[in-house]
Amino acid sequence: MPPEVATAPLAANPRPVDDQVVIETRNLSKVYRDFWGRQKVRALKSLDLQVRRGEIFGLLGPNGSGKTTTIKLLLGLLFPTGGEALIFGRPATDVSKNERIGYLPEESYLYKFLNAEETLDFYGRLFDMPASVRRQRTEALIDRVGLRWAKRRQLKEYSKGMTRRIGLAQALINEPELIVLDEPTSGLDPIGTREMKDLILKLRDEGKTVLMCSHLLADVQDVCDRIAILHQGELKELGRVDTLLKVRDVTEIRTTALSDEAKAEIDAVVRRHNGSVLHVDNPTTTLEELFLSIVRDSEARPGRRATEKP
Amino acid sequence: MVLETDPLPLGQWLSEALPIWLAVMGALAFGWLLLGFLISTLKNGPGKAGDNIFKLLVGAATDLVKISPRRVYALARLAVQESVRRRVLAGLGVYLVILAFAVWFLDPKSHDPATLYLSFVLTATTYLILLMALFLSAFSLPADIKSHTIYTIVTKPVRPSEIVLGRILGFAFIGTVVLAIMGLFSYVFVVRGLSHTHQVSLNDLKMVKVSGPDGAASEGTELSGFTAPEHGHRHEVVISPDGASRTDIVDGHWHEVTSSGEGADRRLTVGPPQGQFHSRVPSYGRLSFKDRQGQPTTKGINVGNEWTYRSYIEGGTRGSATWEFEGLNPQDFPDGLPMNLTIRVFRSHKGDIEKTVHGSYVLRNPSTGVTSEAANFNAKEFSIAEEVVPLKLKDSAGRSIELFRDLVDANGNLEVELVCLAPGQYFGMARPDLYLLPRETSFAGNFLKGYVSIWLQMLLITAFGVMWSTFLNGSVAMLATLSTLVMGFCVLWIRQLGRGEVIGGGPTEAAFRLVNQKSISVDLDESLPVMVMHGIDGMIGWVLLAASNLAPNFSEIAGTTYDPRAFNIPMGNATFVADGFDIPPELLLQQMIATAGFLVPIFLIGFLCLKMREVAQ
Repeated sequence: MPPEVATAPLAANPRPVDDQVVIETRNLSKVYRDFWGRQKVRALKSLDLQVRRGEIFGLLGPNGSGKTTTIKLLLGLLFPTGGEALIFGRPATDVSKNERIGYLPEESYLYKFLNAEETLDFYGRLFDMPASVRRQRTEALIDRVGLRWAKRRQLKEYSKGMTRRIGLAQALINEPELIVLDEPTSGLDPIGTREMKDLILKLRDEGKTVLMCSHLLADVQDVCDRIAILHQGELKELGRVDTLLKVRDVTEIRTTALSDEAKAEIDAVVRRHNGSVLHVDNPTTTLEELFLSIVRDSEARPGRRATEKP
Repeated sequence: MVLETDPLPLGQWLSEALPIWLAVMGALAFGWLLLGFLISTLKNGPGKAGDNIFKLLVGAATDLVKISPRRVYALARLAVQESVRRRVLAGLGVYLVILAFAVWFLDPKSHDPATLYLSFVLTATTYLILLMALFLSAFSLPADIKSHTIYTIVTKPVRPSEIVLGRILGFAFIGTVVLAIMGLFSYVFVVRGLSHTHQVSLNDLKMVKVSGPDGAASEGTELSGFTAPEHGHRHEVVISPDGASRTDIVDGHWHEVTSSGEGADRRLTVGPPQGQFHSRVPSYGRLSFKDRQGQPTTKGINVGNEWTYRSYIEGGTRGSATWEFEGLNPQDFPDGLPMNLTIRVFRSHKGDIEKTVHGSYVLRNPSTGVTSEAANFNAKEFSIAEEVVPLKLKDSAGRSIELFRDLVDANGNLEVELVCLAPGQYFGMARPDLYLLPRETSFAGNFLKGYVSIWLQMLLITAFGVMWSTFLNGSVAMLATLSTLVMGFCVLWIRQLGRGEVIGGGPTEAAFRLVNQKSISVDLDESLPVMVMHGIDGMIGWVLLAASNLAPNFSEIAGTTYDPRAFNIPMGNATFVADGFDIPPELLLQQMIATAGFLVPIFLIGFLCLKMREVAQ
């Protein structure tokens, strides 16, 4: 990745999103069955959610919570047992929706005997792109993910980080409107993780919609506008990250430096002692704390369902 | 090459075969839809099931109509790259090793080395390329699904039809390249393996004085003798006074002998073998028999079960076999009438096994009854005796006659009647055992046609491998493809079993005989259980007959079992090439159409299975 991108600060300021719904699930359910048709596991239970254009939406949950199943259902890799999944208003099983989608799987499942150029050219052909467009986009994307120096090397010689980058490049070959990222920072070192998060934000700034799933809470907290937390196949929490992280029953007052006396009487006498209140707000917890509390709560009270917080 | 029935003309074959194909396709489609509807009804009720089936059909039609050549090309190219990565070209190395070892075992001194060499390379190529196609095609898609690389394909606007078509085309391409190289190696191996020459020295030849045509004046001196042995044989050489010569025919070939130098420096050089490889285009006649009293009969004598195909005539009696040929014209035979005989001999007494059994034939005008003088021949068992009837010959009364003026009637008809001269011995013959040879085609072209039929089989196995792999995992898909291949080799036997022609009855009767230790030659009592058993076998037979249409017929084309009206005609043409007969172009065309007839439903089934499959399951 180019150095200027690598050092660019995270800019997780939420941007206005329009009301156009890009992804919608209605009562979406998935039951895995064995060879004889007997129910093995209920992976997803009546999921209702909407993702709007221009936002970064995170699916969060422990292993086996149903987030990867949700993504697979949305991509048409699995068929729903009940309910429906709509992408751009079309059923998820409709192949033509893929024209506008880019997908980075959890592991970069690419053909290891191809090099970077051949990989991008191959995926470009799958979008029926003419040769000139493929050439131009391949060049641009190889530059964008910083792999120009290794573009002729077979992918089997690539490190994990390089494989993630070329995986991301193939997901962007069609300049998609919706990008689905499954554990985008998995296996990346801290610098690589930072670069990936910067890139996700940049994609959002370009007006693209991003759906990502991860169990790396810091990553989700850094980049997502809204999140859905899944546990045991059920939606447990859904809303804006900043709203969800707000602790409502505690008030935090931040002041300038005060004397010890003032500190002792701070609650009653801030104004009386002519101190100036700089900031009064609810303190926020970390996403990690929130996540763990939801999982604990879900295990204690199974069946409780979430409603979106304003 | 014994082919009892000629292939039908294309139009006639299509009118016979197409309804069978349509019936099988209709039954398959109906069965598929019914099964799908029933399963879906059990899950979702009939209304939703109907809706699902309708959506599936509409989606499938869309997927077929919107196939993108660029995507198919990309996927085919990927399949080729994957094949190369999986060291498919090592198969060529294996083939070369097989050829290298074959040199030890293939004996160029054998009686008919060309047939031996040709049948070996054609068989080895067939098995090797079919195995290669099987392994390539059956494991590829399951490997993609297992390694999840398929995720990055199906999340692009790629239709299942394109994935299946791309795989089939990709593997077919790599198979074609490998087969072409194998074909080239094989051709060079056969031609060079059988190429030889002989040493001949003037000192080994004797001088023989030659009389002039009138038998009086001396015309010169002929040199006569034998070449040195090579490849287990030697040739007789006669050098005419003008120096030109060719050897006699031994093991199906002859050599040109050229002379150079004068006097003491004179040298004789024997050229490479000629006439070793054939691509005969036979013209068959209609065969009829006369019994030992000379009365017309439909069949000759049956000398034993194992020879039922051929009918026999008894030597030293009035028994004869007559072939009636039609449509002969002088333009096709400017140098006489080449006639080939493959007469079998059944000996009722041992005699001298080294001595051939004598026979004779006459030619007769079917309209006028004019008959030629009898020509004697020696029956060469298990090889082709080549006779040429001259244009000018004598009739039975010793008068000079002309072949096309006196023996062939105005409609181009001619009869050839053949008798066995050795009392107590029998000549066995079937329709293709005596034929005229108006022309030969290029051997290289026929060799290529032989490889085209192997190519068709390779295409079918590739397509089957891909089809099975759309819903089975790699090893199971390979087993299923292998089963298809084995079933393909057994189609003719399955048909016989289905029609109840196998001695010992169907599966139920066979099991009954096994348990009760009843020999297959013992008739069973017509009791109620036996009738029920036969009823069950009848039903199983019906299923087997239906199933015999589902696997392509990989058996070799052979005389009695070749049904020219069937759609699922045999694909193996190696015997034609090895025995030196031209593969009839209309037969090859029919095999191509039959292959296409299989490829279309295989592709459709594969594509529908992949479309209905959850690749991430």
